[in-house]
Amino acid sequence: MTNKQINFKFIFAVFAYLFICLFISHPVLAQQVSLSISPPIIQAVMKPGKSIMIAYTLKNSGDPVVVNSKVVSFEPIGNQGKIKLDQDILGPVRFGLDNANLTLGTPFFMNTGLSQQLLLRIRVPDEAPEGDYYYSLLAISQPPPVSEGIATTRATATIASNILITVTNSGIIDIKPKVTLFDTLSRFSLNLFGTPIKIFDSFDRVPVVLYLQNEGKNLIVPQGTISLRGNFGEQANFDIIPQNILSQSQRLMQATPSANIDYTGADRSPASLVLSGFFIGKYNLSTTVNFGDNSPTVFASASFIAFPFKIVAGIIFIVLITYFLIKKLPEEK
Amino acid sequence: MKNKQFNFKFLFVVFAYLFVWLSYFSPLVHALDMNSTRFSIQGANVNSASGTKTSTNYTLQDTIGQTAAGQFSSTGYIVKAGFQYIHSIIPFQFSVSNINVSLGTLTPGTPSTATTNLVVSFGDSGQYQVTVQENNSLRTMTGNAINDTGCNGGASTCTISSAALWNSSSAYGFGYNMTGNDIPSDFISSSYFRPFPNATAAQNPQVVMSSVNVGRNRQSTMTFKANISGIQPAGSYQTVVSFVATPSY
Repeated sequence: MTNKQINFKFIFAVFAYLFICLFISHPVLAQQVSLSISPPIIQAVMKPGKSIMIAYTLKNSGDPVVVNSKVVSFEPIGNQGKIKLDQDILGPVRFGLDNANLTLGTPFFMNTGLSQQLLLRIRVPDEAPEGDYYYSLLAISQPPPVSEGIATTRATATIASNILITVTNSGIIDIKPKVTLFDTLSRFSLNLFGTPIKIFDSFDRVPVVLYLQNEGKNLIVPQGTISLRGNFGEQANFDIIPQNILSQSQRLMQATPSANIDYTGADRSPASLVLSGFFIGKYNLSTTVNFGDNSPTVFASASFIAFPFKIVAGIIFIVLITYFLIKKLPEEK
Repeated sequence: MKNKQFNFKFLFVVFAYLFVWLSYFSPLVHALDMNSTRFSIQGANVNSASGTKTSTNYTLQDTIGQTAAGQFSSTGYIVKAGFQYIHSIIPFQFSVSNINVSLGTLTPGTPSTATTNLVVSFGDSGQYQVTVQENNSLRTMTGNAINDTGCNGGASTCTISSAALWNSSSAYGFGYNMTGNDIPSDFISSSYFRPFPNATAAQNPQVVMSSVNVGRNRQSTMTFKANISGIQPAGSYQTVVSFVATPSY
């Protein structure tokens, strides 16, 4: 009897303990990865035989995570600054970490809120050919362990920072720019004596596109303006945002103040600049772009005509309706 | 008859007056820049933490730009670091809300779904993008696989770069849908899916988020979906999906 009482008390205590443990247990949350990297881009002009060291800051704002670091080559795709990462490093440039306890390709643990400095050594060998080489430093989170018995998709998150290296012995940069397209995006155009004329309603937004081509061996950074001149002498200037154009690539330039307007036309084509306001008459657009001291300047122009079609159509409609009403009234009398 | 002529003339005069007025006297409206022969005012640059702070004893006017931005040089090299084009303090940050996405126990003909959120903060000019790719199709250790979806098939066949309708319970496979900010335009509803690009099949990663605009916490939701047939072998089906966030150059 005493043994039974003891057993009962023991079992009760075990259950009470388990109940308390379950009661005070924390809820299970999904595992989150949140990584940030700074700087997101570096650009270096280096002589063969030289090396530099860049200090990156990698921060983990999510759950504790194991991170791996890696450098791969990339190439530009499209004309809006998108990139395609390669699987490995191409080209002569060599990379390594100067951290005492870290190497590229070796995973390391990052607790929540921890920032890890990555001291990336970039070395250009003596025999490296002149030209541009483009890379990305990747911080890759490790996937979580496998969950048995259920269908599971595990995910890894990778954040990249771009590295643009120009290798030159003389310091001379190969600058060969070309304007491939400078025009307005209009739904309507007239062909007068072989010259296409773009037409807008006075209240329409006027999207302008400027595509620049880099036919040289090194990346270039355009500086310049897009100017709008009206038929009454009024003028407005818009600065071109100096974005890199990589070697042998094309890029849609953006100009302030409307570069951040998410304009997409009927065909979802992006624009460099979106002019808004009330326009009437003929307008001339021009752009002048240079690429630094002693560099060639490129120039292009375009024009468009604006007319208040919608207002005029509305007025004509009202006039006609009024006219017919007036005409009809005496007949009824 | 005279009244009619008078009305018509009157309307014509009104119309002509309106046309002349609109044509020659309406001013141009410009967004920011203001020019004259004596001055030129350009729109101020935008700094997310700039402004005037005051207290009883001080007034502080500040403009917080970027830490360690700028050009550094020495013999043999020049380094330009940071957000070169827009002075922004928005760091490049990428978050995945759930990296262990459970589809649970799969039942034939009953689609299973699960979601994860992708969040990007981007302060550079140019463009950011997030790509996705699966290491392999959803499969067991013994090699049984759930094929990547073709959606409903026929006219509603999806590919790795084009979403299509997938709502048939007899259309089997594994794929994903996107909703939220900066997603591809072919995800026109929550019933439109794509298969994941498969690394073992040498399919290139596909962009699932991209934007030319700076922004904090641009968020999208990826919905994973799996639907199996009655002859699908039992097992623990697994895959790894890689998300890569890259800034522009």
